[in-house]
Amino acid sequence: MASSDENPGAMPPGDGSVPPGKPMTVGQHIIDKGAQMMQSLKPMKKMSQHVCTFAIYSHDMTRQIHTHHYVTRLNQDFLQCAVYDSDDSSARLIGVEYIISGGIFESLSPEEQKLWHSHAHEIKSGLWVNPRVPEMVVRPELENLAKTYGKFWCTWQTDRGDKLPMGPPALMMSPQELDLGIVKLDLVKKRDDKYNISTEALKTARAELAVPEAERINPQADYWKQHGKGFAIEVESTEMKKITAFP
Amino acid sequence: MEAVNVLTHPQIPGEPTQTSTTLLEKATATIQGFGPVNKIHQHLCAFHFYGHDMTRQVEAHHFCGHQNEEFRQCLIYDRPDDDGRLIGIEYLVSEELFLTLPDEEKRFWHSHEFEVKSGVLFMPGVPGPIQRQDLEKVAKTYGKVFHFWQVDRGDSLPLGIPQVMMALTRDGQLYENLAQDVENRYNISFAKERENRAYMTGPAHGIHPMANGGGKGLQTVLREVECKPAGVDHSAARVFV
Repeated sequence: MASSDENPGAMPPGDGSVPPGKPMTVGQHIIDKGAQMMQSLKPMKKMSQHVCTFAIYSHDMTRQIHTHHYVTRLNQDFLQCAVYDSDDSSARLIGVEYIISGGIFESLSPEEQKLWHSHAHEIKSGLWVNPRVPEMVVRPELENLAKTYGKFWCTWQTDRGDKLPMGPPALMMSPQELDLGIVKLDLVKKRDDKYNISTEALKTARAELAVPEAERINPQADYWKQHGKGFAIEVESTEMKKITAFP
Repeated sequence: MEAVNVLTHPQIPGEPTQTSTTLLEKATATIQGFGPVNKIHQHLCAFHFYGHDMTRQVEAHHFCGHQNEEFRQCLIYDRPDDDGRLIGIEYLVSEELFLTLPDEEKRFWHSHEFEVKSGVLFMPGVPGPIQRQDLEKVAKTYGKVFHFWQVDRGDSLPLGIPQVMMALTRDGQLYENLAQDVENRYNISFAKERENRAYMTGPAHGIHPMANGGGKGLQTVLREVECKPAGVDHSAARVFV
């Protein structure tokens, strides 16, 4: 079974909701509220940015998705993001992305670098936005972020209709300025209409942003550009190294 | 045998956050909406081990939200602190939903009955009687976990490919030192809680034989593949940039 499988198998039946399942009972709501009052949930409070952008499946670059990243910064060079398929409270958790500075990226082995993508184009083209934040507020940080690289694993392929998270994670790539990296117009328009923004206008506004030119981006990143290949995760049955019986 | 204590892990490389960045992020944190994240209402602590290697075990702090009564989605951190590292994701489904999955898919999912009944899976900070109201439901669910950051082998960055993880299914699997570390830190006793949870039951149909890897180990492998399906014409791509 692979992240690149066309058909994940028979879909669970139901009323079409994603995921399927009975609505939460009042009792469960009460338990939840109670727990929430007693637990500090610190990592959630450290999420400091909401970024709305796009990503592309590395094993099938015709499939592009609109993503919502909830970002936590651990230091000047490292961020970790919980990624959802929308920004409302019913959003599905579809993956995790890690973001690192160029300096840290250069320290990775070439084999590891292949799994990462660059952010320069995504930011300069206006695809990457912080909803509700005035552009001028976020501008200083965009130059820093434009030099970063990301590694994004998608664990729930809701865009192909999976009602539950199926299969192994898929590796995602970032929008780029040519070929398979170009985000479809209708996908961008849908996003723009929802947030009442213009990606075109942002692109113009960001024309002066100092971002790495294509030549300055490490060629191991955005692997498909130079090599025409993507990556899939496969899962194999094997002997488990054990301490005692399993299961 | 002792397991690695990951609480003495290496620092993530990088400079301390600059003041200007902190200020900006205080602004964004205030102005922006965090809808999906605000749904996260629960902190659960448990242990995972690698799907192909039970000897590598990781303390896993789950931050969970309900999509509905039968489905939860969780972010997994190595510790429940401000600087906790986001190391994975878990989805929890009811037995009913689990049974609708194709057999191939069922292998990824693990049962929760033992973890809950043994007392090892718990909700830090929540009194026993309240926890149990929820955990008695969790005992009947199945979970699917991937880790992206192998903190137990000392990685200071999330290197490599996602790992399928499994959960405890019987006594004798969890390292004593890892268990005691958690018991001491949270001032709890798994054995005591096990007694309190003796009344709980697992899935109505019993633990499915295809769950928990179908009894086998599961290992992920990276494959280089074509980046687009064969025969698809891209020359007519609408130009955006």
